[in-house]
Amino acid sequence: MTNLSILKRHLLGCVLTVAFMAMLPLFITQRYFLGEIILFMIWASVAIQWNVLLGHAGVFSLGQMLFFAIGAYAVGMLGVHLDWSPWFSMPVGAVVAALAALVIGLACLRLKTAYVALLTFAIVFMVDSLIRTEVECFTTVGGRCLPFFGGGQGFFGFDDLGFRSMLKGKWIVGNYYVVLGAFAFSLVASILVIHGRLGLAFRALGDSQIYAAARGLNRTRFHIIAFVITAFFTGLTGAVYAAHFRFAGPSLFEFSNLVFILAMIVVGGLKSTWGPVFGAVLMMILVEFAKGWGDIQNTLIGVVLIIFVLLLPRGLAGATATLRSKLMTDSGTQDNLHAARADPRGAEQ
Amino acid sequence: MPKNSPHLVMFSKHISGGEEMDAILQIMITGLTLGSMYALASVGLALTFGTMGMFNMAHGLFMTIGAYGSYAAAELWGFPLPLALLVGLLAGGIVGAAMHIAIVSHMLHREDFTTTIMVATAGVAILLQDLILKQFGAYPFKQPVQVEGLMLIGNTAITYQSIAIVLFAGILIGTLGWLLTKTRFGLAIRATAMNQDAAKLMGVKTELTYLQVLVIAGVMAAAAGILISSLASLSPGMGANPLIRAFVICVVAGLGSVTGAGFTAISLGLMEAAIGYYFGVRYGFPVMLGLVIIVLIFRPAGLFGKQGVVRA
Repeated sequence: MTNLSILKRHLLGCVLTVAFMAMLPLFITQRYFLGEIILFMIWASVAIQWNVLLGHAGVFSLGQMLFFAIGAYAVGMLGVHLDWSPWFSMPVGAVVAALAALVIGLACLRLKTAYVALLTFAIVFMVDSLIRTEVECFTTVGGRCLPFFGGGQGFFGFDDLGFRSMLKGKWIVGNYYVVLGAFAFSLVASILVIHGRLGLAFRALGDSQIYAAARGLNRTRFHIIAFVITAFFTGLTGAVYAAHFRFAGPSLFEFSNLVFILAMIVVGGLKSTWGPVFGAVLMMILVEFAKGWGDIQNTLIGVVLIIFVLLLPRGLAGATATLRSKLMTDSGTQDNLHAARADPRGAEQ
Repeated sequence: MPKNSPHLVMFSKHISGGEEMDAILQIMITGLTLGSMYALASVGLALTFGTMGMFNMAHGLFMTIGAYGSYAAAELWGFPLPLALLVGLLAGGIVGAAMHIAIVSHMLHREDFTTTIMVATAGVAILLQDLILKQFGAYPFKQPVQVEGLMLIGNTAITYQSIAIVLFAGILIGTLGWLLTKTRFGLAIRATAMNQDAAKLMGVKTELTYLQVLVIAGVMAAAAGILISSLASLSPGMGANPLIRAFVICVVAGLGSVTGAGFTAISLGLMEAAIGYYFGVRYGFPVMLGLVIIVLIFRPAGLFGKQGVVRA
């Protein structure tokens, strides 16, 4: 199996997934369900990007929600302060998120894993508290004092994507396809990174850092590249989030959001390609059911996260791979087993 | 989270005339009080990282649990003050032990322990925080375990609470220092931190050492939580603010350096108090974090860390 065919296989899977998602609004008409699928695509996209960073590049960033929020705030701030349409502010948000990642990456990514995690976490916390404690009014909107960065309440009620006037009652279908577009971008980008030359560099650095360095691979440089790319798509997703919900506020920084997305990655399988997507599906369904059992969402997320880390550290992707290799041993095809072991990407479906 | 940050409350309690001497005294008092609380919050974190290479995202929840333990003992069960304090410390220790037995001990031998343990403890953090929220509600309580009254030096008011905090933190950290440097128990911990295989070969039960370390970290964090909540208030999310500061302190000191964490905590406390006094409380932490990042650009292993070990 050549590298190219693996890449093509994943891209084909990508096309099929997006085509499937694109057909869903033909069968599902309830606004609530479409809204839930939109939310799924948004969180899945964030999880996909974080998995590229955490699972493949080996950058333990806890700052993903910052980039998400930068995208969202770009849409919110440009929408409220300058009356920009989200169509123009969304790309701006993604670019600003990538630039922020470049600055933070240059400052932090030379350090070791644990330091990177702590610093990115601290930076998010700092931005969060600076936004929340801002009191000076920049403008007044509808009699409400609005600080430049929106203060504790954030921005809401700015211009939407324009589908409400265009499609009337079915506006959410328009939003659905915009979010699907961002999701598709994010998915394709992640596959190109994981199975392209960048992913090869990440694997080399992960296998033996010293040998990789001896062959001229600069760890910090690749980490910064990964950080900036994933921040761009995370920011884009955040911008789409803000355009859909017409909201951007400091509640995005809450720890529970971060852990929710982390749970998606861990449940699906860290270091896999498709794991975060399946993890996102499962976590969304779990949370949906949990709504019927009372307000236990965070308890449940915590329990699921702990159980998976303890018992299934490679997530569902890893579990199915183990299962498959066991089945292969039973049928006695020793060659296949070797192939599955030798090719780490066998663990990914 | 301004409601829960202790320094906000401290400033509103203390702010007085604009005299230069008063200002310096004011900053010293606030800084020392903050610093000793930060030191308590960060030594446990530094100790766990130093001995087992574990970064405990649930450390902030140890603080919250200590604070709520004391609160429950004093307010709900009517225990006297010293006993309530003890209950809080005990609660922290128990949670530390429970976490070790249920989770950490099963993961110690994993290849990617550093990252997976962060994920697992993040799960513990959100779980415990939600349970506390369910049990006590989101309404911020006043911590009953504290001393009332104040004295005046010149124009500056010093609350007995501040003095009690510095004394209590000093005693606890002093005891920990004595334990680590003067006893066989501490020797075992330090040996494990230096080289766990060698320690094992010399007959140190490293598994037990890890348990003890997490209990100590739990007790220290609980103490920090009780003290912090006596200045601000109790809320399920109260651990986040001091946890971040403890993170930053450990990073500046060099991960795993316990003594370094103590010194850094006091100096960062004083610095934050000074910045807060002159530029506004809002900028205390951001300026501190900015300086920290600049320090790390020139000394990637932290101020007290060993060069070369940390930079991968």
